Amino acid sequence: MLAGFGLAAFLDETFFHQILHWHHFYDKSTMAVGLLSDGLFHAFGFTSMVAGLFLMADSLRRGDFIPKRWWGALLLGSGSFQLYDGTIQHKLLGLHQIRYHVVIWPYDLTWNILAAIMIIAGIILMRGRAEVARSGIFRSDADPAT
Amino acid sequence: MSELIPLVQTILAATGYSMALARLHRRGDRWPASRAACLFAGSVCVCAAVLPPVGGHDEYFPVHVGQHVLLGMAGPAFLALSAPVTLALRALSPRPHRAALRLLHSRPITIVSSLPAAIILDLGGLYVLYLTGLYRAAEDNDVIHAAVHLHVFLAGCLLSWALIGLDPIRRRPGITARLAALVAAGAAHDTLAKLIYAHSLPPGGGSIASRHIGAELMYYSGTVIGIALAVVLMAQWYQASGRALARTARRGMPEHERL
Repeated sequence: MLAGFGLAAFLDETFFHQILHWHHFYDKSTMAVGLLSDGLFHAFGFTSMVAGLFLMADSLRRGDFIPKRWWGALLLGSGSFQLYDGTIQHKLLGLHQIRYHVVIWPYDLTWNILAAIMIIAGIILMRGRAEVARSGIFRSDADPAT
Repeated sequence: MSELIPLVQTILAATGYSMALARLHRRGDRWPASRAACLFAGSVCVCAAVLPPVGGHDEYFPVHVGQHVLLGMAGPAFLALSAPVTLALRALSPRPHRAALRLLHSRPITIVSSLPAAIILDLGGLYVLYLTGLYRAAEDNDVIHAAVHLHVFLAGCLLSWALIGLDPIRRRPGITARLAALVAAGAAHDTLAKLIYAHSLPPGGGSIASRHIGAELMYYSGTVIGIALAVVLMAQWYQASGRALARTARRGMPEHERL
């Protein structure tokens, strides 16, 4: 579950990303590569969101769901995606921007710094929790499988 | 009149399904009602796509897109969940049963129903349709128009069967491969929708505004169906792994309890 779960929530949060820039989707005719990247991003986003939720349900069913790790993975996932979006998508490919007709630097900076903070917080949470798991606080009683 | 052909085919298929169901019923076999419901829903989608009002106005690009969503995505997805091949194999008498199995296991069928082939046939077909002059040709010529419809439907079936179909497939890919295929197909679909939007395609697609509406419709309905497919896929996985979990929980029980 541990490996599976990190991955799951890693994907989960893209949801957040989707909501965030739903409206920026059609702006201008960009290069085909940009469209492909965006298309992949979008398809990967919704698929992984669904997969993540089901993996979470499975984990709950098995009784080895650990909320703290889940939040950690969630943050790590959102952070990585935001960072990817902020760097590769916005800058390298020149796809949609966060806002239009304003000086873009402060926005970009905030976007990417926020992403970095989320990644770091996620890693800290996930590490902390691994120890908790070993000490056995969260895996006390209900595990029907064993 | 060309719209009558798919209609008749749909009715024939539904009749065959019902006859097979009746045979199973007489024998006392059970068959999930949900599958029959899926057959019904799929047939409705296909008929709605080819009959008026949708079928009568498909020269308007957004209507054409909606028609493809019904005919090539929603309809086939429902049909894949109705497990018609499984039903046929159960209902057939031994000799045609063996023949059908031989056909299903033949090399061409195995290749064409594999995930990569299904994606290429389905999405590749759409790229050809919208990026070349094929769309205009189909607008002008009834035979090409009907052929495009048939291709969209059959390719949609191949992809639906490979992704979420309940029928037995030789060497069915695992959940990860199927999710990856769904992402690939979804990405190809979104990219095409945006290409259509960005370059006001396809040639012969009417006013710019209507092409844009069609592209947006294509994009968003693709997302909705993509999410639905992902949910079905993961629900199937969730059920199957739940059964595996239950088996593990019964570890201590006698062997004959297992599936």
